[in-house]
Amino acid sequence: MIKILAACGAGINSSHQIKSALEEEMKKRGYKVQADAVVIKDITKEMVEEYDIFAPISKPKFSFDITIPVVEAGPILYRIPAMSAPVFDEIESVIKKMNK
Amino acid sequence: MQTIIEFANTIFSPLINLGAAPMMFILITLFALLMKVKFSRAVEGGLKLAIALTGIGAVIDILTGNFAPALKDFVKSTGIELSITDVGWAPLATITWGSAYTLFFLLILVIINIVMLLMNKTDTLDVDIFNFWHLSITGLLVMYYSNNLFLATILVTVLGVMKFINADAMKPTFNDLLDMPDSNPTTTTHLNFMLNPLIMLFDKIFQKLFPFIDKYDFDAAQLNEKIGFWGSKFAIGVYLGAFVGLLGQQPVQTIFTLAFIGGVALELFSVVGTWFIAAVEPLSQGITNFLSAKFQGRKFNIGIDWPFLAARPEMWAAANVIAPIMLVIALFLPGNGILPLGGIIAIGLTPALLVVTRGKIMRMIIIGTIMVPVFLWSGTAIAPFVTETAQSVGAFPAGLESGALITHSTLEGPVEKFIAIIVGRLGESFTLKNILIAVGSLTAYIGLFVWYLKEMKKRNAEYARQKEDVDAA
Repeated sequence: MIKILAACGAGINSSHQIKSALEEEMKKRGYKVQADAVVIKDITKEMVEEYDIFAPISKPKFSFDITIPVVEAGPILYRIPAMSAPVFDEIESVIKKMNK
Repeated sequence: MQTIIEFANTIFSPLINLGAAPMMFILITLFALLMKVKFSRAVEGGLKLAIALTGIGAVIDILTGNFAPALKDFVKSTGIELSITDVGWAPLATITWGSAYTLFFLLILVIINIVMLLMNKTDTLDVDIFNFWHLSITGLLVMYYSNNLFLATILVTVLGVMKFINADAMKPTFNDLLDMPDSNPTTTTHLNFMLNPLIMLFDKIFQKLFPFIDKYDFDAAQLNEKIGFWGSKFAIGVYLGAFVGLLGQQPVQTIFTLAFIGGVALELFSVVGTWFIAAVEPLSQGITNFLSAKFQGRKFNIGIDWPFLAARPEMWAAANVIAPIMLVIALFLPGNGILPLGGIIAIGLTPALLVVTRGKIMRMIIIGTIMVPVFLWSGTAIAPFVTETAQSVGAFPAGLESGALITHSTLEGPVEKFIAIIVGRLGESFTLKNILIAVGSLTAYIGLFVWYLKEMKKRNAEYARQKEDVDAA
């Protein structure tokens, strides 16, 4: 099971779209993925470390370093398949590297 | 004519009589089907909206049921007239999506987008269907005063056009703030950025008079880490519940109850909020498919919800610092009737501050503080409308005594709400005085926007020059 942390500014709209899109598409591609959606503001170092991949809406700046792979997932929100495909591909290649 | 009206009534009356939740369940499902969404997805969306409407009603019930009596005692013991409950954005959005007019305004805005793209008046394709509610509530406000759909539609159209122009004007700033390459199409038409002109006015004053203030800028990310969970939704609900209980001189047990109910309500509002965004999701996808097929091959920017800006820590630092300031201002501001609760983290304000000042945190905090009264007055002014609309869609507890009001303390587009009230009053009675007020305020509003656009064009030309320099080097 791959755990993904999706994040956006309100934790209500964009991050939930990222979460459901990632879960749906990765399931289609044959991976077991579980994503959570949170507000960027509430993210702590400890929280990030519980996940395998960090998928924020855009590159956030924290007071600490992110040690897990980061995939920017904003393009998913354009709702246009050709534009979201590269995000899914990148997530897939990160998962493959993990050998989980 | 009479037969047509009677015929329409026989079809629509039973639908309206069902109440908001069943009616919107049926309408959203049908509308999604019309947009060629799969049947099961369309029904899923419709059901989620009905559940969200019902859920929001339940949470408002919990919150106002407990807070309204305590707020009354609070007013009695402190003499501070803050009896309007601040429920935050989710109930207002839900109430707005509970009105069939929202689907009408949605259609108008989609048409505006298509026409502007065809005429090359904008490069932005808006796929953030959910946030169309911000203009819909503005239109509904006009209708609350005047019952004049024509005036409401005109105002929504004018604001809609301005929002698209603004989305284009802000695009280079977004690239700068978020380090996005030019190939990234992200932009936003969100209503909160229509406050940019007013913020820019103050920003220019600071630039001229107090430029030294920028020296005191601090690391926003570090401040956010220090604040940690103390600034999270439930924690804020707990403080404010305790605050109301203490000042309302409630028994200890009630103080604890209020504190925990405050926390519960703030968390539940956003949980229910996610259902209802999910409800509009199939519809958004349907409209996007339709639009992107229509404009195949054309390059454009894509308008999404604002939270991509939240990657900048200044936005949160400013919201965190402004929250306690807002509470103090609310206590002493003449003409304010709101005790900030659900909207105290002002995410309807700080993204616009970020865009105009480009992350200068001290300016964000100071100008943000100056903006707080505008939001509180606007929130107070729309409270009777919000309460009545909530009642009419069945999202307001029936048992609550009359006089209890709800609103949102930091609802996006505070200036636009005043404009809507002015236009609504004009529709109510076309007196010379009302005409002059409406023409005067619209001229000032649009004039300020035109000045702001000029400033943004200067800024964007500067960005273009910098890029040329980089390319040449």
